[in-house]
Amino acid sequence: MKKMTVEERLTLTKFEVHSKPHITLDLQKCRRCDLKLCISSCPAGLYTLDESGEVKFTYEGCLECGACRIICPEGSISWSYPIGGFGVQYKFG
Amino acid sequence: MSERYDVIIVGAGPAGLATAYFLVKKGFKVIVLERGSEPGSKNVFGGRIYSYVLDKYFSGWRSEAPVERWVRREKLSLLCKNDVVSLEYEIGREIDGYDSFTTFLSRFLKWMALRVEQEGAIVATSVRVDEVLFDDGKARGVRVGEDKLEAEYTVIAEGANTLLLEKHSLRDKISPKDITIGIKEVIKLGREKIEERFGLIGEEGLAQFLLSPLFGGGFIYTMKDYVSIGVVYRPLIKDQVEAKDVIEELRLHPSISKLIGDGIPIEYSAHIIREAGYRDLMSKPYGDRYLVVGDAAGLLLNTGFTIRGVDLAIESGRLAGEAIDRISKGEDPSIYVKLLRESEIIQMLKKFRGVPEVLSNHKIYTVYPEIACRILKNMYSVDESPITLRESIREATGSRFSMIKFILELLFMVKNL
Repeated sequence: MKKMTVEERLTLTKFEVHSKPHITLDLQKCRRCDLKLCISSCPAGLYTLDESGEVKFTYEGCLECGACRIICPEGSISWSYPIGGFGVQYKFG
Repeated sequence: MSERYDVIIVGAGPAGLATAYFLVKKGFKVIVLERGSEPGSKNVFGGRIYSYVLDKYFSGWRSEAPVERWVRREKLSLLCKNDVVSLEYEIGREIDGYDSFTTFLSRFLKWMALRVEQEGAIVATSVRVDEVLFDDGKARGVRVGEDKLEAEYTVIAEGANTLLLEKHSLRDKISPKDITIGIKEVIKLGREKIEERFGLIGEEGLAQFLLSPLFGGGFIYTMKDYVSIGVVYRPLIKDQVEAKDVIEELRLHPSISKLIGDGIPIEYSAHIIREAGYRDLMSKPYGDRYLVVGDAAGLLLNTGFTIRGVDLAIESGRLAGEAIDRISKGEDPSIYVKLLRESEIIQMLKKFRGVPEVLSNHKIYTVYPEIACRILKNMYSVDESPITLRESIREATGSRFSMIKFILELLFMVKNL
């Protein structure tokens, strides 16, 4: 049985990506955060660290679960839903 | 969108659609605004709905609604690294009397929306509500982008992620310790394989609840041609598998992968679950010309063995409908809370208020399953020096384990479940 990466798994789900991100980060706040729970708890693995240790984020594969905004201890994440009709499109749910 | 409505409902989930259904039946002019491109396209749940609530209010649903399978087998499994301990209950009744059924929420909500539209309400999709319009604390409609849409009453049915309520300071952001993340995968396996491997005949279905040191809580629901598997992820636990990989711990577990390993994963989804139960209930889920229903109001019941969201959402929608009808005839808005308190909902939430604490005890996912697996392994392993049950328990629990503490914890669980 082969292990699937999260990137492979995200290709299963349908997205209608809007050009404007619905999530933005305040990197100043991210810099003073030791926990960085966003990285371990995003089910789509959208939060990563780059070589310089900065939090990087892409919004395209966002499952709109809502966890990161609640978990972030610094209040760094501005989160709104994508514009009507855009974002994740669950067929089964 | 210049037309005037009696009631605007924000969100076409189970609670929003139910509110619309009951209001339109009472003659109100209702519009439901849904940000998804179709009803259900933003919703995620485990896989089961309890039938009683549909029997009560949706005549003919058994032949119309997208039922996948009727749950006949209920299974609780402790999944250790290699071994599994299970307890199964098979309901011994005729098929159409079954208490619950498996389904896909997106499909189910499309059906519900259809019923609501047949009654005469409008369900508008791809419409994201940006704010509720307040005039001196009195809700008078919503804003969608540049457009303002006015109504006599506004119902907030935005779901577990309460962005609108927080925006208007009607509710605090939930604490991270009070949420879990439901992470789910739908796997296409085919009817024959499902029935053969899960021991199901015809319309019968299986609902399985899992506890495991590998991923925490989890679930499996059989559909007609698909199997839904999921993990209930607790983000604050340290040194665990990351959320993005955790579903693989379940899918690739030897005892699970032999059942579904040759299936094709077809959808990956996730959503937060509000876990605090009674504590999470909004003390005032209403105000001048607005009401809050469903998950947004904290109406989700986790009994420890079953999670009930859709039936409570529908019931709260019915009560919201009744409340608005009575408020429009001159009663005080607090009638909504009075109706909720008189209903079964609040009583049930209160009764099960100890459950969140039991479920947040890490040991029920880590230590206890391991103990159970080791005890049974010792009991059923035959070699030249067989050991007694008592010795097995002692061996499984180890020397650093306090038997008295263990018994106290078990008593605590029994008391709260």
